[in-house]
Amino acid sequence: MPPPGEASFYRAHGVADALSALHERGERGEAIAGGTWVMRAPLRGIPQDRAYVSIADIEELRQVSLSETEVVIGAGVSHSQLAHALASNPPCHGLAYAAGHSANPAIRNVATVGGNLCAAGFAAADLLPALMSLGAQVDLEGRAGADRISLERFVEIRDTLQPGHLICKIIVPLDRRSAQRSAHVRLPLRRAGDYPVAIVSVAVSLSPGGVVEHACVVVGSVEPIPRRWPAMEAALTGRLLDSKLAIASAEAAADEFVGRDGVEAPGWYRVKVLPTLMGRVIEQLTRQ
Amino acid sequence: MPIVFKVNGEYRVSLMPPMTPLVDVLREEFSLTGAKTVCREGFCGSCTVIVNGRPAVSCLMPVGQVQDKEVLTVESLEVDGVLSALQQSMEEHDAVQCGMCFPGMMMSLTAFLERAPNPSRADVKAALSGNICRCTGYERIVDAVLSAALPRQA
Repeated sequence: MPPPGEASFYRAHGVADALSALHERGERGEAIAGGTWVMRAPLRGIPQDRAYVSIADIEELRQVSLSETEVVIGAGVSHSQLAHALASNPPCHGLAYAAGHSANPAIRNVATVGGNLCAAGFAAADLLPALMSLGAQVDLEGRAGADRISLERFVEIRDTLQPGHLICKIIVPLDRRSAQRSAHVRLPLRRAGDYPVAIVSVAVSLSPGGVVEHACVVVGSVEPIPRRWPAMEAALTGRLLDSKLAIASAEAAADEFVGRDGVEAPGWYRVKVLPTLMGRVIEQLTRQ
Repeated sequence: MPIVFKVNGEYRVSLMPPMTPLVDVLREEFSLTGAKTVCREGFCGSCTVIVNGRPAVSCLMPVGQVQDKEVLTVESLEVDGVLSALQQSMEEHDAVQCGMCFPGMMMSLTAFLERAPNPSRADVKAALSGNICRCTGYERIVDAVLSAALPRQA
């Protein structure tokens, strides 16, 4: 254990080793993988004085596996690796886009899926809304065993988790019985390498006639934590995909969001752009 | 604890604390000053190096994470006084201005051309999206990359 105010670094050799190391380090323990969030802690006024446990070289956390029923993503998979793995997987199109367009290429090469989900102060995370829209679950492991919980539940409890836990896998369920489509639209103020001021991620299941049977709409970056938009889900369900109708519905329902003020955009602007983004995301789904 | 990794083909040992940003180890411990420290937030790309074949911002990479890995910096591109094809093309297109962003650009683009030997103009721009230049526009840089890629296609 490092003395107070001083960081330490331990390179774990496997999941069990990492869990043991995190447990031993207690409240001061913190997993580090890509490091792009942890390394900026001082810029956020947070001292970099934790007992870091590196999980970057644990091979089993760096795998993506695809089957007929699910996609299993290791928490140590990088954004660029994920974008590549899902490039020809239509139900996960939105997630692949999010992974392939967040931040910039050099960040995407090292920043991990698990890190994106665990960075509680990062409101503009791309993967979180994209995975939420797909109904993702996470395998949360501790020394006592593993729990599979919904990603939405994980986001609720991630700040209060007891020391010694680690996200190991993210599971995206697939339903081959219906046509699944997903899309992810983000609005950065600069086209390249910027944080999005607002994000809309949508996943739908369509009947053979193209009617939306199920819709999940998630809004990211507008409020401090991404969340579903039930009014839009209701507006989409039971109808054909229609961007004009979606824009009108979003204009009527956008005021349920309270935008966060930030240096890149005021809160009202983040809310104001939502109907436009909703229209774009439906257009993308229509073209798939 | 000493951290051992390869830099530009040679094994090096860092005695800096493991959470030290790689760029500081390269510049201050190994005197490899090509990678520049500018934003230290991963936005500008001036500290970009290649780690195990992939571009990475060295300002956000703890040196402890490169144990046993291979790091290439801009100093590796010129061999025995001969510039790389990409460096030569940049010179021929008069694409370099102040040089602050350029070491990072060269590393992003070198790794990019390894993976995409026949890029489109849009591909090059996407590859450069994490490297910011405040001196000039990017068009001559993109021209130089496409020109450097031509001999590979032949």
